Amino acid sequence: MSSAAASGAGRTVVWLVALAVAVALCLVLDIALGSVRIPVGAVVKILLGQQSEPAAWVFIVDKIRLPKALTAVLVGSGLAVSGVQMQTLFRNPLASPSVLGISAGAGLGVAVLLLAGGSAASAYVIRQLGLGGSWALVGAATAGAALVMALVLGLSARVRDNVVMLIVGMMVASISVSIVSLWQYFSAPEQIQEYLLWTFGSLGGVVGAQLVVLAAVVAVGLLLAFASAKPLNALLLGENYARSLGLAVGRSRTLVIASTSLLAGSITAFCGPIGFIGLAVPHLVRGLLGTSNHRILLPAAALAGAALMLLCDCLTQLPGSQAALPVSVVTSLLGAPVVLWVVLRKRGVGRTL
Amino acid sequence: MLSSPAANSQAKAPPTAGRPAAPTRTTVQYAKGFTIQYLPGYKVVTIMGGTGKAAPATRYALVPRGKAHPAGFQASQVIETPIRSLVGLASLHVALVDFLNADDVLVGLGSLQYVSAVPVRQRIAQGKVFAVGDGRELNNELLIAKNLDLVMATGWPGEGLSKYQTIAAAGIPVMLNSEWVETTPLGRAEWVKVMAALLDKEALVNQKFDQIAREYHRLAALAAKDPKRPRVILNMPFKDVWYVPEAGNYMTTFLRDAGATYPWAGQKATGSLPLTVEAVAPVALTADYWLQTGTLSTRAAVAAQDARFKEFKPYKTGQLYNYNRRTNAQGSNDYWESGAVRPDLVLGDLIQILHPALLPGRQLYYYQKLRE
Repeated sequence: MSSAAASGAGRTVVWLVALAVAVALCLVLDIALGSVRIPVGAVVKILLGQQSEPAAWVFIVDKIRLPKALTAVLVGSGLAVSGVQMQTLFRNPLASPSVLGISAGAGLGVAVLLLAGGSAASAYVIRQLGLGGSWALVGAATAGAALVMALVLGLSARVRDNVVMLIVGMMVASISVSIVSLWQYFSAPEQIQEYLLWTFGSLGGVVGAQLVVLAAVVAVGLLLAFASAKPLNALLLGENYARSLGLAVGRSRTLVIASTSLLAGSITAFCGPIGFIGLAVPHLVRGLLGTSNHRILLPAAALAGAALMLLCDCLTQLPGSQAALPVSVVTSLLGAPVVLWVVLRKRGVGRTL
Repeated sequence: MLSSPAANSQAKAPPTAGRPAAPTRTTVQYAKGFTIQYLPGYKVVTIMGGTGKAAPATRYALVPRGKAHPAGFQASQVIETPIRSLVGLASLHVALVDFLNADDVLVGLGSLQYVSAVPVRQRIAQGKVFAVGDGRELNNELLIAKNLDLVMATGWPGEGLSKYQTIAAAGIPVMLNSEWVETTPLGRAEWVKVMAALLDKEALVNQKFDQIAREYHRLAALAAKDPKRPRVILNMPFKDVWYVPEAGNYMTTFLRDAGATYPWAGQKATGSLPLTVEAVAPVALTADYWLQTGTLSTRAAVAAQDARFKEFKPYKTGQLYNYNRRTNAQGSNDYWESGAVRPDLVLGDLIQILHPALLPGRQLYYYQKLRE
């Protein structure tokens, strides 16, 4: 890396600018595309706040496409950044935001609400009390994610070994998933239907105050992540080496875990589980930029994650159809080949971890 | 047999007939999912496991109790009639027995919770109905120990009898219903005739079903006269997905017969179309009515689900209706039970909502307007 440092800096700037342009292009593309055909000119007019006919177009662009595209930016950048953090912290190329069990915890919270302990009567009571609605779903998912986050943070203070931490996260996830399966088993089909729709993940429906809350939490998570760039660079060299550099390993690990918990927890709470972005984008940016410096990797991952998520959202739209594919299916279909391509093209990528 | 009361009472019956006078028959007019044939000494009920020519069909021989079983049927596909004990695994099966006043044959259910019919609820309270577990895992040991005449289940597409192998091997007949193949409400309701054949209640079913069909046609003709065709949207979206009934869905037939404009009436899919919210929004913004709001029963809950719904015209005008009027304290909705066999009442509700002037003074039965 040191030999390429001079030209590397220039190349990095070019890549970051290119990624930023890609985000802008994908954002426009995502807003321009949809199941209702709206001319690009009309879309631009509406975005600029001008009047346009018919009124349904204004509603579609302002209330459906724009919030969805902004959600895609938040989700993509948040998941990609926390993916980079997890892969470095656990020194494992297969780590992703879900390894800590936070997403599974959010799923558990949603299951409590939608499947209500397998009892339709209690679900009915919850709805009669007016506790339904989208905020209830977000609240339940947040509570589940926070519970797991508290558990993981508490354990991370006691458990020094990162491999043990990884196993703890996976086991917590496994327990959450089993509890959910058990509930599904005893639930009525129509309740399972709603839960299944949630597990498909969705960028839609995050509007108004919800979008503001999601944006605020993701912003805090991203700030914490960027603050962890230096300790992450030191951790790359191994914990003992990092310690010898004078790094408080325990504290930086807490910082990383807190940041990922906020990002993965809030995103899963609002959008459901969205796979592969957090796993694929870190590999993609490491392959493209050829660096393992987190001061560059983290912002690059944020940009690439946003662009890829927007692209995936464009691809959910089947041409000529009024139907759309679930977004997490598209992220997996697109994400897996990306990881393969990067890994096979630059086999050296594993060594930088 | 010659001295049986039935033979004696039938003065004109030829004394050489070895059985009581031929029972009243029923004919299938609307349903596509089953047929009933009357052969000498037994009936054959054939259930189609889907639509199209390749659909698997299962044949059952319905034999008067104690008579010889016809050849060519497996033991588990011979049912002695009238059945005395039945386990029903779906809400529809409760409706079928209740329709024919035969609630006392129902001895087991998948779950005891989702029941609306009052006579069946009373039997549950008296401990006369047991639960066998719904869906994927049945309590086979309990089913076999109860010495049943028939287990009735819903046969989903591509799903054969294999799931019920254990019970069938124990000699208990299992009949798979496939009322989901029906594209019309009357076709769906006509499945009561299968139950009637099992109970030897053809005379009763002919009388009751014909009355319902007549009333249904009367109401549809009434709605057809009104030139107004209000625009209707259905169901609640979940985040991005908005499932709406397609051309072959019985709900689409209901809307057509109720004189509604329904934009997706011509689009074919399997049951429902998974649309994006964006695809439905242009219609929703200007629709006259919004029906079937899922689990929501207040206008405030609709707004809480998604603030954007406040811009849809039916929300603004308050024309939001849901079919949960007859939901009991257990959370069981009678629309899914008796609603399946009372298409006349459902159509009446829809016409009353969409064309209030046509049915003055009528009370809504399954539907209700959403509260504030």
